[in-house]
Amino acid sequence: MSHIDKIDIAARKKVAEIFYKKFMELNEEISKEKPPKLEIPMRTFANTEFDISKGILKLGIKKIERNFLNMNESKKFMQTLLMASIIYQALVENEYPTIRDLYYRGKHTILYKDLNGRLKEENTWEEQSESDASIRDVEVMLGLLREDMLILSKEKGKVVGNMRIRSGNDVIDLSKLGHGAYAIESTPDLIEFLDYDAEMVLVVEKDAVFQQLHRAGFWQKYKALLVTGAGQPDRATRRFVRRLHDELKLPVYILTDSDPYGWYIYSVFKVGSIQLSYESERLATPKAKFLGVSMSDIFGYGTKKAYLSEEERRNFIIKAKDLDIKRAKELTRYSWFKSKLWKREIDMFMDKKAKLEIEAMASKGLKFLAFQYIPEKIQTNDWIE
Amino acid sequence: MSTEAEEKIKAQEKYREMSIAEFFAKNKELAGFSNPTRALYQTIRELVENSLDATDTHNILPEIRISLKELEPATEDKPAKYEVAVEDNGIGVPPNEIANAFGKVLYSSKYVIRQTRGMYGLGIKAAILYSQMTTGQPVFIVSSMDSSENIYYRKLLIDIKKNEPIIIEEGQLIKKNNWHGTKVYLTLEGDWTRAKPKVIEYIKRIALISPYAEIIFETPDNEIFYFPRVTKKIPKPPSEAKPHPHGIDIEQLKSMISFTKTKTLLEFMTEEFQSIGEVTAKKFLESIGLDPNMNPKSLIEKGNSKLLQTLSAGLRTYKGFRPPRSEYLSPIGEELIEVGLKRLFNPEWVKAITRQAKAYEGHPFIVEAGIAYGGNIIPSEEPVLLRYANKIPLLYEEREDVSYKVVSSINWKIYNIEEPMPLVVLVHVASTKIPYKGVGKESLSEVSELESEIKNAVQEIARSLRLYISKKNSEHILREKIVTISKYIPEIARSLSILSIHPDKWGSNGKNIDKDLIEKLIKIVSKSVEFPKIDGKEEDPEKVVRSVIANVKLEQ
Ligand SMILES: Nc1ncnc2c1ncn2[C@@H]1O[C@H](COP(=O)(O)OP(=O)(O)OP(=O)(O)O)[C@@H](O)[C@H]1O
Ligand SMILES: [Mg+2]
Repeated sequence: MSHIDKIDIAARKKVAEIFYKKFMELNEEISKEKPPKLEIPMRTFANTEFDISKGILKLGIKKIERNFLNMNESKKFMQTLLMASIIYQALVENEYPTIRDLYYRGKHTILYKDLNGRLKEENTWEEQSESDASIRDVEVMLGLLREDMLILSKEKGKVVGNMRIRSGNDVIDLSKLGHGAYAIESTPDLIEFLDYDAEMVLVVEKDAVFQQLHRAGFWQKYKALLVTGAGQPDRATRRFVRRLHDELKLPVYILTDSDPYGWYIYSVFKVGSIQLSYESERLATPKAKFLGVSMSDIFGYGTKKAYLSEEERRNFIIKAKDLDIKRAKELTRYSWFKSKLWKREIDMFMDKKAKLEIEAMASKGLKFLAFQYIPEKIQTNDWIE
Repeated sequence: MSTEAEEKIKAQEKYREMSIAEFFAKNKELAGFSNPTRALYQTIRELVENSLDATDTHNILPEIRISLKELEPATEDKPAKYEVAVEDNGIGVPPNEIANAFGKVLYSSKYVIRQTRGMYGLGIKAAILYSQMTTGQPVFIVSSMDSSENIYYRKLLIDIKKNEPIIIEEGQLIKKNNWHGTKVYLTLEGDWTRAKPKVIEYIKRIALISPYAEIIFETPDNEIFYFPRVTKKIPKPPSEAKPHPHGIDIEQLKSMISFTKTKTLLEFMTEEFQSIGEVTAKKFLESIGLDPNMNPKSLIEKGNSKLLQTLSAGLRTYKGFRPPRSEYLSPIGEELIEVGLKRLFNPEWVKAITRQAKAYEGHPFIVEAGIAYGGNIIPSEEPVLLRYANKIPLLYEEREDVSYKVVSSINWKIYNIEEPMPLVVLVHVASTKIPYKGVGKESLSEVSELESEIKNAVQEIARSLRLYISKKNSEHILREKIVTISKYIPEIARSLSILSIHPDKWGSNGKNIDKDLIEKLIKIVSKSVEFPKIDGKEEDPEKVVRSVIANVKLEQ
């Protein structure tokens, strides 16, 4: 690749060094005929901690040893090394593999003979889930994210707003993309923020709502950087939001459906996902605020008037299913959902057994959503943290 | 009952005497000649066992040739007619004894206290009687002793009524070489097709137990079974023993007294019995209150039957005699049993044991056992049991045999042996008196001393086998571990070779697998495994690791 930019090359070099150092250690152990092992921080819920001061989910200190000489671990040991070598090779050779590429590059057959002399075949891995697990092993072992290792995944997140960035060798103006939007690249750390004119970040759960707000001119009017993760946000979107918050010191508001699934999406932006707690340190935005739609928006609370009329409620509210109730109960177990406001929110949900999609607010009128509901909530600090 | 009535019954019954020859002619099944199939099998057996008695019992390495020819095929109402000929290189029969040895039922050279296959003086005669009754043909015997300058031949029939040989033809030839031995030709009706499996099984088992013998068998199907000699080691031959007092009943005692040349009871005791010294004899006679100086002959005089009974009872029960001597016995020995089992089954594991001698009713006996496991043995629900008595294979009546009782009651699971089991159990009993259930010599009685010895012998080997299997299992697990781990060595070495090239040194030559890494990994895996010692040998882990790696191929 000829037009690789400097940031990219520097990033590659730094990460490749980390690989080299770590695996030379293993190489030396082997030269001393010591039993080969890899130390990998444990990626289980039991080893997940909620860092109260930072407000994010973190990986605990527990590590597992992956011993080559342990029959039950030797295959994983091999897979981890294999994955590391493919990623390393891609790094050094200036490639951008996707996780699917890595799966294919590493997948091959080992032919051997069993004790009875029969020829046997074994694949280095069968399913992509296995190679994905190896990627995660490499990530935690080296303390690097796949984005750091320049592994691409499908771009899902989008952003528009008054801002110019540099991606690769190009400068992109995020306000000049027409009806479209900038797809947040897989390696958000390689994006350079040039200049901006914005006062907040609004993340909406749903792509359709993002498009509506974009066309309505919401971000121009309220000086917002408008982001969507299109459902469950990918890592790049989360990292990008985190950077906006950290580096530009902008408040981050999150708008989701009014149901446990929406709350969970908020939670992922805020503290990180449970399976991937090792990445939270760099992906989570602990200060992100849940803007709505909240139960009190639907039903009112105390002196607060409901945004929906009796009739609208009848039309828009969906009855919660058993699965929703189950999810809500699960969420109450996590400490960041134990605050007073969240308790009230979840209690109301359990009480009313009602959920509401954000589209309902839009169907009350896009103008209502863009120019009344959202700004009013922000102005009155009607959000939950 | 009135005398008149008694006389009436007498008048209805006819009384006469029957010779022993006639008895066995009429009751041929008692000697194992119940049908044409069994008869053919039994005839070959009797001949072969006589030949073996004439060879290994006298320290001669046996060479035995058996040939079976069909003379007339079977018809609708008659079985086929065969000629059986068995030749050996044994001691031969003295010319003046041939006629009686082959023509008189209950005539034998083996009526002594000695471990031989033959014991009744019946076998060959039962075969001749069967031959005579089914074909009317005489038996033809050719024999020469080592010392003899002639070869003698006899053609004879048995006078069934008189139990005497009828010589049809006799003569002699001058010996031109130094041949010695005996060859016997018999013609009889039989059923080879049916008998074949048993006969072949019998010969295989003879070969198993006598690996020092050369055996050739020509079948009517023109097949030749040849069992070459695999060892020249021959077990120490049995020797003749004096009787042990515990094994003597009152009738035997009477006959011993009538034949003895000793003058006093004390002398009679020390001379005619085994392992009784003067001190023991005196103590014994004192304990039963008999005068050591009395003439033994007086005990069989009229009026002395009380004293005779006292002596007889004392002999059988007195605890102060030394146990029967076993050095007269001729066990096969652990080595030969193992050789035999190996030859026949090519097993994965084999072990044999010769137990210490024990005695029952004054008869010494030695139990030997062997177990073969795995290899070519076809697994089955229960172990294959090979029974032997005085080196004779026993093929029929398995379920009536004491060995079967013992072996079938063993729970093999506790020895780590799973069903179906590739297991052969051999039991050999050597004794101056084998407690056969019948004169057909097919099964042994449940003598408790014998039963517990057989049990001890089989269990002792089974314990070694268990140890072997558990070591084998752990060896297997270790081997699997080596395969599981080592198959990844090439891939790991390759990956790590790549990871060990610094980005600045990245070049075209850099992608080869580091051979040193492979070597080190081989060493590491080898060091992590220690194989158990099995039969004093242990597998070299490095060899196993290398053989795994040699077969690994990485597809790109
Ligand atoms: N092949 C032979 N070589 C030498 N002697 C033989 C041979 N065959 C038979 N004899 C002699 O003939 C005798 C009678 O044999 P026979 O088989 O009838 O009885 P046995 O072997 O003594 O006892 P059993 O009835 O138990 O077989 C033997 O005791 C032996 O002395
Ligand atoms: Mg005989």
